[in-house]
Amino acid sequence: MALLEVDDLSVTYSPRDGTPVRAVDGVSFEIADGEFVGLLGESGSGKSTLGNAILRLLDKPAAVSGGSVRFDGVAVTSASEEEIRPLRWAKISTVFQSSMNSLNPVITIGAQFADTFAAHGREGDPATLLDLVSLDADVLRRYPHELSGGMKQRVALALALALEPKFVLLDEPTTGLDVVVQHNILQRLRELQSQLGFAVLFISHDLGTVMEMADRVMVMYAGELVEDQPARAMMSAQLHPYTQGLLGSYADPRATEISVDYIPGRPPDLSRPQVGCRFAARCPVAIDDCSTQHPQLLPAGAGTARCLLVERAGLVDARRARSFVAVRAEAPAVDPVLTVTDAAKEYRGKRAVDGVSFELRPGQVTALVGQSGSGKTTIARLVTGVERPTSGSVTFTGGVDVGSLRGRKLRAYRRHTQLVFQDPFAALNPTRTPAYALSRPLQNHLGLSKAQARTRAGELLETVGLHPASQYLDKLPHQLSGGQRQRVVIARALAPEPRILVADEPISMLDVSIRAEILELLDNLVRTRQLGMLYITHDLLSARLLADEVLVLNEGQVVERGRTLQVIQNAQATYTQELLDAIPNPVTRS
Amino acid sequence: MTTSLPIQPVDTEQAEVAAVEAARATKVPGWFVILWRNRKCRIGLVMLAVFVFVALLAPVLAPYAPRDNSFTASVGPNGSNWLGTTAQGEDVLSQLVYGARTSLLVGLAAGTLSTVIGLAVGLTAGYLRGLVDEVLSFFINLALVVPVLPLMITLAAYAPVKGLWLIIFVISITGWAYGARLKRSQIITLRTRDYITAAKFAGDSTARIIVREILPNMTSLVVVGFMGACLGAIGGEAGLAFLGLGDPTTTSWGTMLNQANTGGAMLTGQWAWLIAPGVAFAGLMTALTLINFGVDALSNPHLRED
Repeated sequence: MALLEVDDLSVTYSPRDGTPVRAVDGVSFEIADGEFVGLLGESGSGKSTLGNAILRLLDKPAAVSGGSVRFDGVAVTSASEEEIRPLRWAKISTVFQSSMNSLNPVITIGAQFADTFAAHGREGDPATLLDLVSLDADVLRRYPHELSGGMKQRVALALALALEPKFVLLDEPTTGLDVVVQHNILQRLRELQSQLGFAVLFISHDLGTVMEMADRVMVMYAGELVEDQPARAMMSAQLHPYTQGLLGSYADPRATEISVDYIPGRPPDLSRPQVGCRFAARCPVAIDDCSTQHPQLLPAGAGTARCLLVERAGLVDARRARSFVAVRAEAPAVDPVLTVTDAAKEYRGKRAVDGVSFELRPGQVTALVGQSGSGKTTIARLVTGVERPTSGSVTFTGGVDVGSLRGRKLRAYRRHTQLVFQDPFAALNPTRTPAYALSRPLQNHLGLSKAQARTRAGELLETVGLHPASQYLDKLPHQLSGGQRQRVVIARALAPEPRILVADEPISMLDVSIRAEILELLDNLVRTRQLGMLYITHDLLSARLLADEVLVLNEGQVVERGRTLQVIQNAQATYTQELLDAIPNPVTRS
Repeated sequence: MTTSLPIQPVDTEQAEVAAVEAARATKVPGWFVILWRNRKCRIGLVMLAVFVFVALLAPVLAPYAPRDNSFTASVGPNGSNWLGTTAQGEDVLSQLVYGARTSLLVGLAAGTLSTVIGLAVGLTAGYLRGLVDEVLSFFINLALVVPVLPLMITLAAYAPVKGLWLIIFVISITGWAYGARLKRSQIITLRTRDYITAAKFAGDSTARIIVREILPNMTSLVVVGFMGACLGAIGGEAGLAFLGLGDPTTTSWGTMLNQANTGGAMLTGQWAWLIAPGVAFAGLMTALTLINFGVDALSNPHLRED
């Protein structure tokens, strides 16, 4: 008997206003003692709902609508709350993405460990547990607000392991942390797992990480499992076209020629009945039968897969169906549109940015790479005129000193400098339609009339690939997917016909499968519209794909700079190397 | 100066989206759909509707004119005067029916006025921060710590003009601060949103950003504040009138209580004269409080009874 048995589990959301959505549909799998299983899926695929169903944490309007979950002989789905309670934390524990925020802010870390032990009548040594996650014992005396996000997440992990559970469910445990921190925590987790022998279900949207970590990988799409294979087998031969597409979004940034895949389209609307294969609409190799016959999860390769083509032919090859190939000719020497000279910015005597110089040229992309706190965002604020440099200067074409602009002149300058934000869910006003959002810069900066602005807004939406525009103009942001929202954000930035585009981590909150698509769009726009772009990121792979020039930033100072490929191929600074090592790379791992 | 009341800024953005959504689906205004679904709120809405109905149709519903003193004075409930008569020989029931007009009018007018003052001060302070915030926050805090009832009594007693509108003015001028504080803390959380930065880069003016970008994301909070202000205003008017500082020419529940007190209702055993305005007050206050439960659900999806 396996440790965790999920049998034909379905979870349905039945909101009062809408049609029910079956977020998890007939999922069956088992996890054995000590096994490390990855569960992969994009946002909305039902992976977190599945995790919550296993923990029995589903809240209204979600409910299990079929099937069962058995954990260690206990029927989790039908047991009473009293039967579940002794299991929780003692045998089955969890770390969520937001677990760091679940620490009680008014008591010390030590007291939280004491609480955990007391609640279950157990004893243990918190210092040893902290040591497991590479934290010092003096953390015990500190309060949560004295720790960084990464440290808090480590504490959450240590708490999850405190009662030596047999099973730990990790739902995006490191998403939102710095790449280097993320890398360290995950490595430690893998070591701990093999040392202590607990079983893990690791839920993530990041294929690279999952493959590096897990023994076995399950891929979820639109509420169904579509592939389940040992990680090693999946590495060499992915069965489902979706998995192949996902894996294609990774590449080695050191390679001289580089291209990444993406999967156009978006997952189906699960509130409608589904016929045929749910991936068919996005599948590059779909045949006619795919849209009429619903494939079963059948043995294939070293595991199982849900694909008609695999069923019939044994293998499909959907790789390189749609890819973004980064072509970087030697950049022509053109006059810069913006020059930053020896800029420094101090906040309360602390230097956030120190002696940074660079130029933005039309049709070229300059990337700022560094982790949070490295001063990237401060530089963006200097470039956009939100902040004035403490020393040094920021000069816009025609000798305009950006730091000294105020009032009307600043507003005029902003016409030329537009922003693309990181979080597409925060960048659009939830109560305003794209038509309104796009019409504002058009009316204010270009002086168009309301009707002209609406026509132009439609054209802009088409430019960023939202076609037909009439379908998107009057929607509210929450009716759009993350990728569509980001396109609207980009369209809004383009609206006043700016000379400079500042993009602050524009793809880091998007699903892996569509990131390359947005990069390709940005790349196109920069080249065709001759924009000077400042691309801010922590991700060297995307910088490699998009940028002509790269500046690696650490603690406010440029530690390395040059042509992107040169910097990446001959990384000198240790910090650059750390960043390179932190990129998950399922393709080259043997 | 960032002391704040124990009020957590809530995620009002989600609420507005839900309201807009619900409206698109049903053609009825979205906020109403959500309010109506909440059982407590539904009871409150029905109760309030009854009060509004009575107030609007007072001349039709009231058996006599409120100032008609042609009846036997100080009698208990009987066949022709269902709730008895006052010491001046007026019909208590008719006064009660007409009194609903005054209470609702004061609630609506003073509630609106103090909400508007609170909005203007709170939004300006919260959005502009800096020195403006310091100065405005000083006045908010001042208005919060000044004992309201003595101030109202002083203002009402020494004002050169008398009348209902004076009462409304006094109540508004003493009751806006709490709402201003609430709105200030909410706008502080909203003003750093990316979409506000985007609006600045789109060239929108500060006033437009506040009205078109921020305000739609906190309407539920404004409504809660308005209901609270109405409650306070109705109570305030009753208090002033009971103390004899109201407008003696208008009939309100407060003046009824005042007259019942001075007219010796307790001594003559006219329980209805005393209890009726009290029950009416309690009913109206309960209605507004129940509706506020629904408005809470509007601004916090977790409280919805789905």
